[in-house]
Amino acid sequence: MAKQLGFYFNASACTACKACQVACQDKNNLSAAMRWRRVVSYGGGSWVPDPQNAGLMLPNNVFVYSISSACYHCVNPLCAEVCPAAAISKKDNGLVLINQEQCIGCRYCEWACPYGAPAYDQARAVMTKCTGCDDLVAQGKNPVCVDACVMRAIEFGDIEQLRAKYGHVDSIEPLPEAKYTGPAVVITPHKHSQASGKGTGKILNLPEEV
Amino acid sequence: MNVREWALISFTILAQMSVGAFVVLGIVHFLAQRKAGSEEADRLSDRALLAIGPVMVLGLLVSLLHLGNPLNAYRAVANVGSSWLSREILFGALFAVVGGAFAIAQWRKIGSFAMRNLLAWLAALIGLVLVYSMASVYMLGTQPAWNTWATPISFFVTTLLLGVLAMGAAFVANYAYIQRKYPGCADAQCGLMRAAVRWIAVAAVVLVGIELLVVPLQVAYLAAAGGVAGDSAALMYGEFGLILALRLALVFIGAGVLGVFLYQNALSPGREKVLGYLTYAAFALVLVSEGLGRFIFYATHLRIGI
Ligand code: SF4
Ligand code: SF4
Repeated sequence: MAKQLGFYFNASACTACKACQVACQDKNNLSAAMRWRRVVSYGGGSWVPDPQNAGLMLPNNVFVYSISSACYHCVNPLCAEVCPAAAISKKDNGLVLINQEQCIGCRYCEWACPYGAPAYDQARAVMTKCTGCDDLVAQGKNPVCVDACVMRAIEFGDIEQLRAKYGHVDSIEPLPEAKYTGPAVVITPHKHSQASGKGTGKILNLPEEV
Repeated sequence: MNVREWALISFTILAQMSVGAFVVLGIVHFLAQRKAGSEEADRLSDRALLAIGPVMVLGLLVSLLHLGNPLNAYRAVANVGSSWLSREILFGALFAVVGGAFAIAQWRKIGSFAMRNLLAWLAALIGLVLVYSMASVYMLGTQPAWNTWATPISFFVTTLLLGVLAMGAAFVANYAYIQRKYPGCADAQCGLMRAAVRWIAVAAVVLVGIELLVVPLQVAYLAAAGGVAGDSAALMYGEFGLILALRLALVFIGAGVLGVFLYQNALSPGREKVLGYLTYAAFALVLVSEGLGRFIFYATHLRIGI
């Protein structure tokens, strides 16, 4: 298999502090409306009356956990397949990059990508997204989100090595099943994590945050 | 809803209407020729043919509105190898060029009959491939409300339904024009026009039958699938339920009820005026209904994932 860089994410460690998201906005000079990396909280459950104490409520399978999500530089990038301008391409190291010089701003990739990774730049009328910090990676450094995480919940590197180290989970709610695009990601689930497509919870962030 | 989606609604409707009109005109012309000869057939259809061009050009122009970067639109065919959007744009432009070339040749009677015939067949074929490409653009695995057979079926039904009724309207308008210019000289034309409208009425009734079957089946299928597809279905019968009901009522009245009236009136000579009004009304109702249907198409799709 060709070389494929990818992300590791530890959902059992993430505290939803959003340091990764902020570091990404900062390095890439993104407006608040453009988010290449987003921290999404997912939760569910309910409250039921306490049979012993009238008026009190007890938690019934209440849970919440968070994921930090960006472009997964997929093995089968649907974004690149559908882009009419051939502006999206997969590089030798597996990173999927958009060439803004070629992009015509049709936003078709946005309809295709199940990870909401493409972020439209209203001012320049072109699409942008996570580059995997290819400039830093070329210098042998980590993407900024990796180094910003206080919980060390994100890693970046050769996906085969990451899989050897962390296993093969590549989807948990609220991420979609991996079958659509083959994301280059390994996840350590949270103890409450639910399988993609079978979740009972919902995304708890404000819609404009996701 | 924003400019981009209005542009997509107008573009897809206008482009499909031009393809449908072109195909229907071709069939009618072929049959008219066998019945009444080339000259009368051309008199029936030449003016209608010229009406299609502007509709298609308008469609292609509004389609540019949905691009952030219209000046770079020429790059949109760079990925014909794998992108249906590229193919849609390619076939859209080809249809306009080949169809336009045919219209000019036919109008000015340039070239041999066989050559014009070949051009017409080619343009019709490209048009049908265009409609197929348009449907395929939306058949994305990550868009369950679009990724069903209902998308190509309803795109083709829209194409033909708008095609037959637009041409019906063009024929009655053309007939009224000829009547006014050369009163009393249009007996053969009158017969042809009535025969054409009669077949158009039959086609409209059949097509609306398919549409009235496919739309509810699609909603039921999505609802049964659950998940994101189910959420889309809920939008269709919930938030957009009234618009959907209105759309179905309009197309039922326009193509179904008026279709039956059209058929009856086309059978009785002397009722050409009534026939004219009925045809215009049917076309207008169906155009509005298909526009609303396309609006719902863009308003209710939900993507899988985050
Ligand atoms: S996550 Fe989305 S944008 Fe990134 S490569 Fe996969 S399909 Fe393309
Ligand atoms: S917005 Fe740009 S990158 Fe995305 S599909 Fe359109 S041309 Fe390609």
